[in-house]
Order: sequence, then C-alpha cells, then structure tokens
Amino acid sequence: MPDWRARLRERMAAEGVVPSAHSEAIDEIADHLADLDRAAEADGRSPDEAAALVEAELSRMGPLAIAVAEREQRNARTNPHAADWRAGLMADARHALRTLRLNRGFSAIVIATLAIGIGSSTAVFSLVNALLLGSLPFPKPEELVLFWETGDDRNETFIVAAPVYEDWVRETRSFSAIGIWEYRTFNVASAQEPEQVRGIRASASVFRVLGVPPALGRVFSAEEEQPGHHVVVVSDAVWRAHLGADRSAIGKTVRLNGEPHEVIGVMPRGFEFPGKGTGVWTPLGLTNQDRERGSHSFFVAGRLGSGSTFESARAEVEQIGRALEQKFEANRDEGSTITLMADFGMEQTKRMLTALMGAVLLVLLIACANVANLQLGRALVRRREFVMRLSLGAGMARLARQLLAESLVLATAGWGFGVALAWAGARAADLILMPGFRTLQFRGEVPITIDGRVLAFAALTAVVSAVMFGFAPLVGLKRKEPSVLLRDGERGSTGVAHATRRSLVALEVALAIIVLCGAGLLIKSLTGLMQVSPGFDARDVLTLQVSLPQANTYGPPERASFCADLTRGTEGLPGILRIGATSHLPLSGANAGRALTIEGRAVPTPQDGAQADFRLTCPGYFSTLEIPILDGRDFTERDSRDSERVAIVNRELADKYWPGVRPVGKRLKLGSLGNSNPWLTVVGVADNVHHFSLEDAARRELYLPYSQAAWPVMTVVAKTVGDPVSWQVTLREAIKRVDPDLPVARVQAMSSVIDGSVDWRETPMKLLTGFALIGLLLAAIGVYGVLGYFVSQRTREIGVRSALGATRTQLAGLVLRQSMSPIAAGVVLGIAGSFVSGRLLTEMLYQVKPGDPEVIAVIVILLLIVGLLASWLPARRAAGIDPMVALRED
Amino acid sequence: MADPLDDASARKGSAELLILAALEDGQLHGYDIAREITRRSGGLLAFHVASLYPLLYKIEEKKWIQGRWVEKQGQRRRRCYRLTAEGHRMLAKQRSRWEAFVGALTRAAGLRHA
Repeated sequence: MPDWRARLRERMAAEGVVPSAHSEAIDEIADHLADLDRAAEADGRSPDEAAALVEAELSRMGPLAIAVAEREQRNARTNPHAADWRAGLMADARHALRTLRLNRGFSAIVIATLAIGIGSSTAVFSLVNALLLGSLPFPKPEELVLFWETGDDRNETFIVAAPVYEDWVRETRSFSAIGIWEYRTFNVASAQEPEQVRGIRASASVFRVLGVPPALGRVFSAEEEQPGHHVVVVSDAVWRAHLGADRSAIGKTVRLNGEPHEVIGVMPRGFEFPGKGTGVWTPLGLTNQDRERGSHSFFVAGRLGSGSTFESARAEVEQIGRALEQKFEANRDEGSTITLMADFGMEQTKRMLTALMGAVLLVLLIACANVANLQLGRALVRRREFVMRLSLGAGMARLARQLLAESLVLATAGWGFGVALAWAGARAADLILMPGFRTLQFRGEVPITIDGRVLAFAALTAVVSAVMFGFAPLVGLKRKEPSVLLRDGERGSTGVAHATRRSLVALEVALAIIVLCGAGLLIKSLTGLMQVSPGFDARDVLTLQVSLPQANTYGPPERASFCADLTRGTEGLPGILRIGATSHLPLSGANAGRALTIEGRAVPTPQDGAQADFRLTCPGYFSTLEIPILDGRDFTERDSRDSERVAIVNRELADKYWPGVRPVGKRLKLGSLGNSNPWLTVVGVADNVHHFSLEDAARRELYLPYSQAAWPVMTVVAKTVGDPVSWQVTLREAIKRVDPDLPVARVQAMSSVIDGSVDWRETPMKLLTGFALIGLLLAAIGVYGVLGYFVSQRTREIGVRSALGATRTQLAGLVLRQSMSPIAAGVVLGIAGSFVSGRLLTEMLYQVKPGDPEVIAVIVILLLIVGLLASWLPARRAAGIDPMVALRED
Repeated sequence: MADPLDDASARKGSAELLILAALEDGQLHGYDIAREITRRSGGLLAFHVASLYPLLYKIEEKKWIQGRWVEKQGQRRRRCYRLTAEGHRMLAKQRSRWEAFVGALTRAAGLRHA
C-alpha cells in the first residue's frame, strides 16, 4: 500500500499548501485513504487498481487543500499559549529539517557560508576570550596593580627609581603590600650544563603582593633584602633541572653568575612571575647607585587593601607623586600613577583583536547578506506557498515563525561546523600568528580553548544571523485571493524581491570593500615600514646572546677581557668576516637608560636633565653592523680598565647636547654632577639607528666600551659569508673556546630580529587579509547568484533579443549592466565606510591614513575585476541562449 | 425557515443533511460517514474524500458536529464526529425543510414516491 500520508502531502504541496508536520487533518484524511485502499483490496482488486481507485478520490484537491490550510490556521490562532507556540516552533523545525533535506544543494551552500562567517568570528573571539577576558594566575587578580612614574604627559609612564618606591611604601594607605623588582639574567650552574635563566632581584613583599606561597621552604626575609645575602628562591623547573627535584634541596647551594647562593625556597609549578621562563628570584639588595632618584630601572606592583578601590588608590598615589615633585629636584615634572596589572602590555593585543573582531563581524554580515540573498532566490520559487498561506489568513507572524524555524535549523548546522572551524583555527593560530602571541606578561603562555563562553558567543552569532537572514523571503509578499492563486498559478510579485537582492549585493560589496581597505592599509603600512632603513646593515649578520658573570650591573666588569677574547677566538675562522658585541641589540626590545651630566653645560634645569639610552659594545660592533662612525673612532683594545674612560655618542645625542660643536674630545659623566663616577671623553660619533622599532624616531644613545663598564648579557654580532645561520656552529664553538662556561642563547640572523620587531604588524595584516579575501569571495558569490537568477528569469526576453539580431556582446552587456549598478553603489558605500572603520586601525598604521587613495584605488580595481568575473558566467550563459529553446520554454 | 432553496444552497444543504443524518445514531469517523451515506442511499450517493472533509470541517466550525480523537484499545487513534445539541436541532430543521421541498417537488413535477 502506498504511503498515503506522504502522497497526500505531495498533492497538497502541488496545490501550494504545506501543512505543518503535526497536522491532524493530514492524519485523519490519510487514514481515510488507507481504509479505502484496504477495502478495495478486500474486494479483490489488485494493489495497483486499489491505489488508482483511491487516487481518484483526490481528483479535485483544490477545495480540500484550502480546507486543510484554513483548519491549520484556525488551530494555530486558537492555541495562542506560549507552550503551544514553542511546540509549534519545534514542529516547524522538524518540518524545516525535512524541507531542507529536500534542498540539499541549497542547504549545503547556506550552511557552508554560515560556517565560514560564524567560524571566523568564533575563532577570533576565542583569542579575545583567552587573551583579553582571561585573568592573571594569582588570587584576586583584580586587586593587583602596577606603579609607574609619569612624565610631563601623565600618559607617558616609565619604570621606577627605588627611592620613589620607598616613598610609596611609606606613604600610601591603600595597599596591603607593595613589591619591587628588576629583571636579571642568571647563569645557573650546578652539576648540569650551565644554563641562562631569566630571573629578578626582588623585595620579599613581591611574594606577598602576588599571594603565592612557596611550595618548599620559604621566601626571603626583610633582613635578607639588604645587600650581601646570597640566598635564592628557584622555580619548579630550575629545581627539577638543577636540584634533581630533591625535596631536601632547601639549604643546598647553586652557583648564580659564578657566586654560590643558598636555595631557601622552591615556588610551585607554573609560577613564573613576572614572565614566562622566570626561574630565579634573588633578594633586592639595593646599592647606592640604585638609590639615585634618576635611576629608573625597577618595576613595582601592589595589591589593593580591603576597602580601597582602584580609583581611590590611584588618587592617593597621584597625590603622593605631586608631593614628591615639590620635595625633590629630581622628581620635578614627574608624577606617580597606577594601572591594573591585567592591562599591562595589552594595548597592541587589544588593538589587534579589536580590529580583527570588527573585520570578522563584517565578514559574518557579508555571509548573512549572502544567505539572505540565497533565501530570497529560493523564496521566489516558494512564493506560491507563501502567498497562498497568507491569503488563507495565515498571519505574517505565522509565516515568520516557520521561516525562523528554518533559519534556526540552518544556523544550528552553521554553528556546529563554525565551531569546528574555529577549533581548527585556534589550533592553527600558533602557526599563523606571531611567535609567542599567546605569551602574555604576568600570565605566561595562555591556552586558546573553545570553552563555554566561546560556544555561547558562537550560538549568539548563529541566532543573530538566523534572525538577520531568516525573514528575507517575506520581502514583497502580499495577500491574494486564494481563488486567484489556484486559478492562474500566480508567480507572485518578483520586482521587490529582485530589488532587495540587488541591494543586498551592494551591501556585500560595501562590507567587502571596508574589510579589504583595512587589510590594504595594513599591507601598505608594513611594506612602507620594511623600506625604512634601520640604520644598520642586517645582511649576513648572525647574532647570539652570551651571559657573563656580573653581579653588579654598574661594573667594573668581572670579565674585562671578554671583547679581546672574542676577537682573538674568532680570528681567522672561515666564514666569519667581522665580529663585535653589544649589551642592547637594536630592534630586540632590550634597553637601558642613564641620567647624564654634560661637562661645561649650565647646571641642567629640572625639565631638561640630560639622559640617554645606554649601551656597551665591543670593538668591531659598529663595523660589523655597518653603522657609520661619522667622526672620531670606534673603541679599541687599548680602551682598557686602566686607560682613559671613553664614550661614543650617536648623532642624536651630539646634536642635542653639543649643537654646532664637534663632540669629539668633550666630556660627560653618568648620573649627577656631584657623584663619584669618572668623566668620560667622547672619542667618536656614530650614526643613529632605529632601536625600538622601525617607525620610532632616533633616540639619544651613549655607547661605552665593555672593558670599562659592565653588563651581564652581551649579544655577539658576526658578519658572515652568506647565510648567517649556517655559521652558528662555528661561532658557538669559538665562544666555547673563549669560555666553556658561558651559556649561549637566542641564536638568530639579524634579519629575523628585524622581522620579529614587525611581527605585531604582520600578524594582524595577514589575518585581516585572509578575512578580507573570504569576504570578497562571499560577495562574489552574491553577485553571481543574483545575476544567475536574472538570466534564468529573462531567458525568454534574451531569446527574443537574440532572435531579433542582438549580438552575443550586446546580450552579455545587458547582463553585466545588471551587476554593475549594485556593485557601483556598493563601492561608493564601502569607500565611505572605510574612512570610518579605518579609524579603528589608526594606531596600527605607518605613514598611511584611512582613505588612502592608492589603497582605495587598488581595492576598487580588485573588486571590479572580481565582480566582472562573478558576472561573467551568467553573462556568457545569456549570450549563448538559443532563441528557439528560449521561446519554447514558456 | 421558509426561504426558498436556490440551486447552490440546495446542493450544499443536501450534503450537510446527509452528514448530519449519518451521525444521528452515534459517533462515526470520516470513512464510516462516507460508507454510511453510500449504504443508506443504496450506493447512489457517494462522497469523495476531496469533498467530504471540507464539508465536515465547515459543519464542525458551525458547531453542529464535534470531532475528537478517540483511541480504542487495539485500534488506531481515529477522529470521530458526533452531533452537538445544535446539530440535532439543525438536523430536525433541515429535515422538515427538505421534506417540504421534496413534497413540493413531487407534487410539482409529478414524481411518484419510490
């Protein structure tokens, strides 16, 4: 026996009525048909005869279809309760599932489009979730703040001088603890290979601020904070690597930079404050140099006490800053402030993620517009059903509910695939994004996960998209008399819908242009930046870091012969042409600053105390990097501990402090006039280099020879023959010959150092470009879809034109004109939008502004080309229409 | 009601009368209603599914009959219809109108009672 229920639905559908999945009328009538069928077979008819007999009962379906539709409508109206509405929505969803299964191709395209939109937004959100919404790995992280000294401009913050920290500790009431630290690098030596480990010298209060007790032993006491106490707290990793994870390691000795230290505590696993890889905490031990008010080299953190808010605490600290300004000459024009620890170093990440989030939301909008477009296209086919139901008294609301159910089903599938895409994207993020983008200050390496919040975000985007695209088919619907419909197979008004589709294409084009322009601006910034000369020649230069034993960073050097040894150790080595070393490699992020006194200069006014960035170099550093020595000479081996103290200044410093005068032969000293530091004679002027970033203006730099000063970490630079990295073994071995106990780290080509300095630009640029291309592809699909439909609707007209002698070119032109007006409108809208959205990127741009004509021109041309390509297939189809076939078609 | 029966309403009215009459003795589902009418008319009158249900639904909406789903043990759930009080009144009224009409027709057209 045939499935009469299904057969009945088919016949209904042919009349333009799709009863709901739970239609009782269908059940009832199908039962009736089945009874008839059984009775006919019981009378001795063959199954086929019986079925034909029953089929005859349905010969005039029109009135039945109407009656069933009306009955459903009545039922829907008389059951207004929410529960029924929900049940109805579920039933609609089941119905929608069936409908969508019947239209596999359509459903697949819609789901794929949504998955792309939802997936990219969710992937970016998972980064936002992990990096911006995550919290510091300490108890009550919202109470943690960082202290800063500020300049004239209160937004300009710098690290802190120790005396100011002591003032804060004495005078503030808002904090339960305040701690101070300075970054150090230690050579940790035990039975194992020596290892370079990051660490800090810190006050004991740092551990109280963080609220993390040691896993073994204790942290330092206030007394041990004074100079001369050789105790150390180590990380779990150092404990495992150098102390054999021995629980009785407390009291044992490790050598730090050559000096024995007693291990008094081991911190719990995962504790790496203040940054990833930190393994050694030694007591602060402030020296006299540390106690200079101009010596900014410390970080200070505090924990808000009970009863104080961030705002009240900041007001207190700023008040104290103003008091210090009155009290101390050195603090003139300086202030104090605090920031949330969680916000530290997040500006770039925040900026990058905001821009990316904006971009992916636009891509999601494009995806929605595209799906709305597809829906409208299909709605034209389903129009008969909709108009019929409307005419039978179904409210718009009832139809809207069914459409909502359909779009929710689609969006749910899009959500599922989108989350899968986002998951893959988050996995791939490590490959695509800049190295270490997940490594945040104070938080270490942050895992990117798809957690409940990310799933909820994805669900939200799915529901919002469903609502946005779902109601598209209702556009332009009108009530009609059912009799009219049934009589002439009304096709429904298509004008409004077609106009809507073209508007959607314009919208897609506009959004695509906005995202493309964003990507274009970043690309232009980066290419512009890469053309900036850093002030040195990075070609064929190998760099590597060497840690030197040096307890006191203010010297004298404990290994004064380091530079000479290095030069001798590498002399005559094949592949290594020149060699040098510096304490602070340009573009590597390392820096130090010192206050200066310039001899013969009027006693510095407080606003204009001389200062400069501070570097140590070995002879040969300038020639290795090909930094021009503009006047005078480079350091030589003759500049030793016992000879005259010398310095090289850069052009920026010379111009500032000796304007119009030859600096060679002039004298300056570190710190204030009255201190005991020796006078330094300027022996050379080096040209400027870009130290922090390619876009930064040159800074004042002071170079001292390593043999006369000291720094615990030196970066060796070597000019090699050809690919520098291939010479790393040669260089490592040479350094081992100099001293087998010097740990070597961060071996890389100088060109990678430059690349690393622009990573934070390159990553968002790559991602934004990726998203822009997805947006462009979706917009192209939109153009293609609308034109394809246009051609299929006008087949007859085109056939007639062709029959009347229109050439293929003319016919293709007819179609292309259809796409050009929405594309043109979209281009205009998009350009306008890109001016607005470009502001989001301003901070990430370099010598290019939102609305850059060159960028816009390139993007518009790109879009027109893609738009033409997308129009090409439908146009070619139109040009190829056979008039005879076209005319027969109707 | 003494209004004259025009052709259309007569056709519709006769169908309604047949359904109401079929339900006079108790509740029936759609298939049985159709069968009962065929049986009572000796096979002369038959309802197609496509015309029966629109009528049933219309009469139900007028509240002359009431349908409800009945589940008997061992059988499928079926929708059965029975006359409401209003249905009974309408049946009596329509009967008398049709009797008057058929009487008039018999007399006027010289028909003989079967």
